[in-house]
Amino acid sequence: MPYPFVPERFSAGLPPLRDGVDRVRHRVAIVGAGPVGYCVAIGLAVHGISSVLIEADDSVCAGSRAICISRRSLEILDRLGALPGFLATGLPWTGGRSFYRDREVLRFAMPNDANQRLPPMLNLAQYHIEQILLDRVRELADRIDLRWQTRLTALEPRADGVRARLATPLGDYALEADWVVAADGGRSTVRESLGLALAGTSYEGRYVIVDVAMPSDRPTERLAFFDPPCNPGSTVLVHKQPQDVWRIDYQLRRDEDAEAAVRPENVLPRVESLLAMIGETADWAPIWISLYRANALTLERYRHGRVLFAGDAAHLVPIFGVRGANSGIDDADNLAWKLAAVLHGHASERLLDTYSEERVAAAKENLGYGAKSTEFMAPPSFAFEWMRTAVLGLAVRHESVRSLINPPQTSPIAYTDSSLSRAAESSPEFETGPAPGSVLVEAPLGTPAPAARGTEAPAAYLTQVLGDHFTLLHFAPDGVLPADLAGIEAGMRACGIRWRTVVLGAGTDEAAAALRALYGAKHGASYLVRPDGHVLARWRRCAADDVRRALAGVLDRVALRIGDG
Amino acid sequence: MNADELDALYTALCRAMTSVGEAQAPILLARFALLAIVEIADADRLRQLIAAAAEDLPDASGRGHT
Repeated sequence: MPYPFVPERFSAGLPPLRDGVDRVRHRVAIVGAGPVGYCVAIGLAVHGISSVLIEADDSVCAGSRAICISRRSLEILDRLGALPGFLATGLPWTGGRSFYRDREVLRFAMPNDANQRLPPMLNLAQYHIEQILLDRVRELADRIDLRWQTRLTALEPRADGVRARLATPLGDYALEADWVVAADGGRSTVRESLGLALAGTSYEGRYVIVDVAMPSDRPTERLAFFDPPCNPGSTVLVHKQPQDVWRIDYQLRRDEDAEAAVRPENVLPRVESLLAMIGETADWAPIWISLYRANALTLERYRHGRVLFAGDAAHLVPIFGVRGANSGIDDADNLAWKLAAVLHGHASERLLDTYSEERVAAAKENLGYGAKSTEFMAPPSFAFEWMRTAVLGLAVRHESVRSLINPPQTSPIAYTDSSLSRAAESSPEFETGPAPGSVLVEAPLGTPAPAARGTEAPAAYLTQVLGDHFTLLHFAPDGVLPADLAGIEAGMRACGIRWRTVVLGAGTDEAAAALRALYGAKHGASYLVRPDGHVLARWRRCAADDVRRALAGVLDRVALRIGDG
Repeated sequence: MNADELDALYTALCRAMTSVGEAQAPILLARFALLAIVEIADADRLRQLIAAAAEDLPDASGRGHT
């Protein structure tokens, strides 16, 4: 049975050539139109930079791949202008249940307090993810030159850029670009061309991934079954996707032959017995079967001269804990504004080294969590297996061990040790609120509220004031912006830097008071926020000169005409 | 103990057992249990814990299948 989604097919094209080379030298070439490549292209376009996006295939992807999009990713997608499509298509969820044999041993809820605008997690198929991003790319067609059926065959790095060799059904050509973003996935051709290899751990445990079509009113939640009666000795995970598609992942026994395990005659009875066990009686049909083996691998650096790696091309994170696509979207978000700042001449190339620094640190954190999840979901030795059996059996009566079953779900990563945060000289005396390097904590704004991004209407939530700019959040209980801070916006504009100063916390309602408390800003404070929503610096009291100094460490090619500078 | 500390100790015990191998791991666990007994040093509580560990012990099919 096919997926309930028919991808549009796109034909190849050839640009005008001179001696077999694209006549246009591009500022940025992005290899791979997957979720990460799309997000980089859209992010650059939003920041005013054109790119060429190269895709070997003739359509968005097929099959069962990434299915869970985190709240942090949704915030990023919102800034990219793609959020409505995700919310219209995806299924939001907030928690799940785990079972050991026939007993429920864990009910978990992801952080989801009343301050949140977006769900902690949203399920949709990767072809949906790519289609929604493709729709956004088409709106930005004047800045994104998307070339289908164009396969990278070799990459020659040069001092001031790269030359890419491309193959299409209409013929081959070369393309030159100042920068290349490698978003070409786990089997990255760019990585291979540069002779680079991922390093880390590959796990023995194997999972069969099955998508089935089945109508069901069952709620969207993550179900995990350990040693279930339907499939003794195995672990089974169940996720709901839109359009009555269900994703079922089950672990293979060590002695099972991989090739035989993915044959329908071996897969279908296991799915049937699982569905019977959970009480699903409707007719169902298989759509997709594949084999998965967990890897926890990364490159040591994501910048190699003029080549920048992102997503699976840079790191492979185990699927348990849903940090694959989500960490790639975070890579794209970190990279886009920095590459744009370098191309606008506002920052030196060193800013791109901080892309590598911050995202390699993030990957290590993600790999650590991914490894933990994998050790539980696919125990790598007898010891992990014995201990898991102990945890699951004891969990029925002993609540104190249940946290060991809970998969550490993806959460926003803080760039705590980032050289950008360290250089920015924040004041230390905050008792609460996001520290430098962290993402903003979401909160309702109350009234009065500044306008939401791209509208005249007041923003309901804090993250809606972020956009393609640095943002100074100034908490002023009296609603008045001090004169020297009021001058920053014009000073930044004069330097060509996108900037927004936002006055917060002036209201007398509960939301305004709660916001001030959340940010440790009862008596006024300022947060300087990067275009990717991470805090660069914060001050109890700030003068324009503090802002200038903090920003000078990031945008080191501009003489900022603010403060004393 | 918070969840992160519990998790780290769980992993440390798993690694210790893995490094001595399957044949020696029960001895390692027995020694660890003995050290924990003298450390906890509350006889009534320890009798409860021994009983809880023996309760609902899964049959052998609970392991070795993966």
